[in-house]
Amino acid sequence: MSNQKERTTGDLIKEAEQKQCPVRKAGEYIDAFLKELMCGKCFPCALGTFESASILRDIIVGRGTQADLHALTEIAEILTVASRCKKGKDTGQFILDLLRTGAFSEHIGGRCSEHECSLLSEYRIVPERCVMCGECQVVCKVHAVVGEKKIPYLGGHVPFEIVSKRCIRCGECVRVCPNDAIIVVDKKDIIEVGVS
Amino acid sequence: MGNTVKLTIDGKTVEVSEGLNIIDASELAGVHVPNLCYIKGMKGIGACRLCLVEIEGLKAPVVACNTKVKDGMIIRTQTDKILEVRKFVIDLLLSMHPLDCMTCTKAGVCNLQKYAYDFGLKESSFRRKNFGYPTDEANPFIKRDPDYCILCGRCVRVCKEQGTNVLEFMGRGIESKVITAGDRPLQESACTFCGSCVDACPVNALLESDRSRKGREWEYEKTHSVCLLCGNSCSILLSTKDGRIQKINAGAKAGSAERYICAYGRFGFDSVGAHTRLASPMKRINGELKETTWEDALNSVADKLRQAGRETGFISVAGITNEDALALKKLAKNVVRTKNFDTTLSLYGDSDFFIQSQKADIDLSDVIVMVDLSPSQWQRILPALDASVRRRVERGARLIVVNSSDSKIGEVAAVNLKGNIVSILRGIAKSLIAKDVKADKRLRASVENAEVTEEIEKAATLIYEAHEPLIFSSPALFEASANIALLKGKIVAVPLESNAKGVSLMGLVSEGKSYQDMTEGMTKVLYVVGEVPISHRPNTDFLIVQTSHMTALAEQSDVILPSAASFEAYGTMIDYMGRMKHLYKAIETYGKSLNHRDICVSLAKVMGAEIRRPTEDEVRKTAKVKLKITFRPWAEKEEFDISPEEFTESINTSVINGSRLLWLKETEKTVR
Repeated sequence: MSNQKERTTGDLIKEAEQKQCPVRKAGEYIDAFLKELMCGKCFPCALGTFESASILRDIIVGRGTQADLHALTEIAEILTVASRCKKGKDTGQFILDLLRTGAFSEHIGGRCSEHECSLLSEYRIVPERCVMCGECQVVCKVHAVVGEKKIPYLGGHVPFEIVSKRCIRCGECVRVCPNDAIIVVDKKDIIEVGVS
Repeated sequence: MGNTVKLTIDGKTVEVSEGLNIIDASELAGVHVPNLCYIKGMKGIGACRLCLVEIEGLKAPVVACNTKVKDGMIIRTQTDKILEVRKFVIDLLLSMHPLDCMTCTKAGVCNLQKYAYDFGLKESSFRRKNFGYPTDEANPFIKRDPDYCILCGRCVRVCKEQGTNVLEFMGRGIESKVITAGDRPLQESACTFCGSCVDACPVNALLESDRSRKGREWEYEKTHSVCLLCGNSCSILLSTKDGRIQKINAGAKAGSAERYICAYGRFGFDSVGAHTRLASPMKRINGELKETTWEDALNSVADKLRQAGRETGFISVAGITNEDALALKKLAKNVVRTKNFDTTLSLYGDSDFFIQSQKADIDLSDVIVMVDLSPSQWQRILPALDASVRRRVERGARLIVVNSSDSKIGEVAAVNLKGNIVSILRGIAKSLIAKDVKADKRLRASVENAEVTEEIEKAATLIYEAHEPLIFSSPALFEASANIALLKGKIVAVPLESNAKGVSLMGLVSEGKSYQDMTEGMTKVLYVVGEVPISHRPNTDFLIVQTSHMTALAEQSDVILPSAASFEAYGTMIDYMGRMKHLYKAIETYGKSLNHRDICVSLAKVMGAEIRRPTEDEVRKTAKVKLKITFRPWAEKEEFDISPEEFTESINTSVINGSRLLWLKETEKTVR
């Protein structure tokens, strides 16, 4: 046994709050809870939190369904009523509070308004603001930026674009762009606008 | 005990003894509170949360398994909120359970199935989980199938409470698995294959090895009976189908510390149809044993008995029913007119001791004293006594062990007194008398110079302050231990065979030659009943063996009379704690074998006399012998020194060799 003071649900909540997206908050909390705090003795908590972890993982990558949301709500509600100890009750309450923000339904619709759930967003270069310096191409580790640097007095260059399939949403290109030409948008919007 | 409380459960008012938890109290009111992790008799752990109930005045629901009843409580077990929780938990359990009701052996008696039915759950609304655990079926007794496990923990707790401690949880939460130390197969652990876990498991995770495809639970006929293989005489529940025994479970009522049966009793029933089983009478013609008819065999026997008369000897095992013992006595005393009839009881005790043993209930005793006894589940010496005492200690009783050497049961004792047993007992008596316990003048005088050490004082204080002290003693030390019972407590002599007390009360006790005399060959004709621990033919002119299997002794006999096994006959017996137990007939007699009493009656008829078949009424009347304990000199009876392990093995050789227990013997030989 380590000499560290055992972490409480409050500690886990504080850590989870570092994320912006409520779904991510829930995901972080549940994963930490399963690893550390859960005693695993009572069925609602032991089986319920394990199930919640799978549900949250699916919602984060955009595979969540309305039924999943319903199940998650049920799990959280029952945890507040039937779990054996306060830890389970706190977990249930935390999830319920997050569910009330409406972010979960959004995710099932395909959007993450905080843009933290990477598979639900896309990185795009705004052509009007791009000065074609090529810095983003230099830092991109997965070669997701295609385009040619502008050479003075020569024309006919390939504009800079980010290949969404290759992009890992690491955020490096946003950091180095001198003109803030790279934005993060919701995938859903693009699908709505583009040709289906 | 004594105080009762009145409370209302789902509108029904009921009065129950205080100290009960809500689940047990509801049962008495006819209300079933669903539960999966609760074991009757043990404290509730509140793991499954199915037993949540709402108590008026309390905001949050509480678990019924761990809440004691209080006067005036108003309890509701079926509110909407609670039903929602229960449905949710069952739903989650179904998501990690193989939906296998079609071929599952537990169908019909499965609690999970029952609750899913009650809630109308066809399948789970959660993701399916399958951990793909391998089964453990390498031994012929118990099969472990962790995929079906619902993690209720009953098996772990039952195994821990009785002291064997073989099963434990590996991991936490949903990914936990019930394993033996090091996740080895059962035979590589300290498992004694008693099967208490199988009785406890609510689903199909622990079952008998050969249970699959052998019929559904509802096709089985259940018969209550008693195991006659050793001194514990455990109550058992037989399941039969198509006239054959399919399995045996522990039969004592739920919650009792005595709800136990060892591997011998649980799995030895295969021997009923073993190839050594005798199907027909046999007679020695020209030096060889040949099959013959009952008429022929009984005539030959009757001739010899008539000739020998008073010089006939009858010896029997003490593991026969009261009716059989009474019939045998009548045959020997009234028809053959001999005084030589005795049982194997004489090898380890005096019949008076078993008659003097007082009626007791181990579930009510708060202090247990064990004198000169070393019960052990591992060596199969009175295993049920070992398990019961360990359970009682876990449930709050205190144990005092008095022994001349180290004993394994001593590890759970509150006071362990090792040394000269008689001196220790005298010390305890002196200490009790010093606490102003009323004592006989002679008893008082006899312990004046006894030594009282600190430990002895501790033990005596425990006995003095106990409500229902119970003293178990070996027959050798019975007289000395009884002197303590004269001061306080009840005394029970523990025999090595099941119906020692019954056989003593029926009077199958020698009025002439003793068992030892007769086995040394002091009779002209010897009539042996049951599987006695003798393998060489005693020196006698004519040997008759009346038993169920072909034993080494039977092979050397002159006439063999095939008798019925204990499952094939109705009868009564009296266990060592003074209770009359019934054996009900579960299967038909094998081949041409007959009950012991039927053989005696037929034999008497052939000899021209008549003995009435003993009825239960007659048995009860005959058993009304009262013999009180009195002050006896402080001494150990040296003549009763035999090895309990060897003795139990030798009277059950046919059961062991004729069943899957032989595998156990071979395996244990290599491991030890």
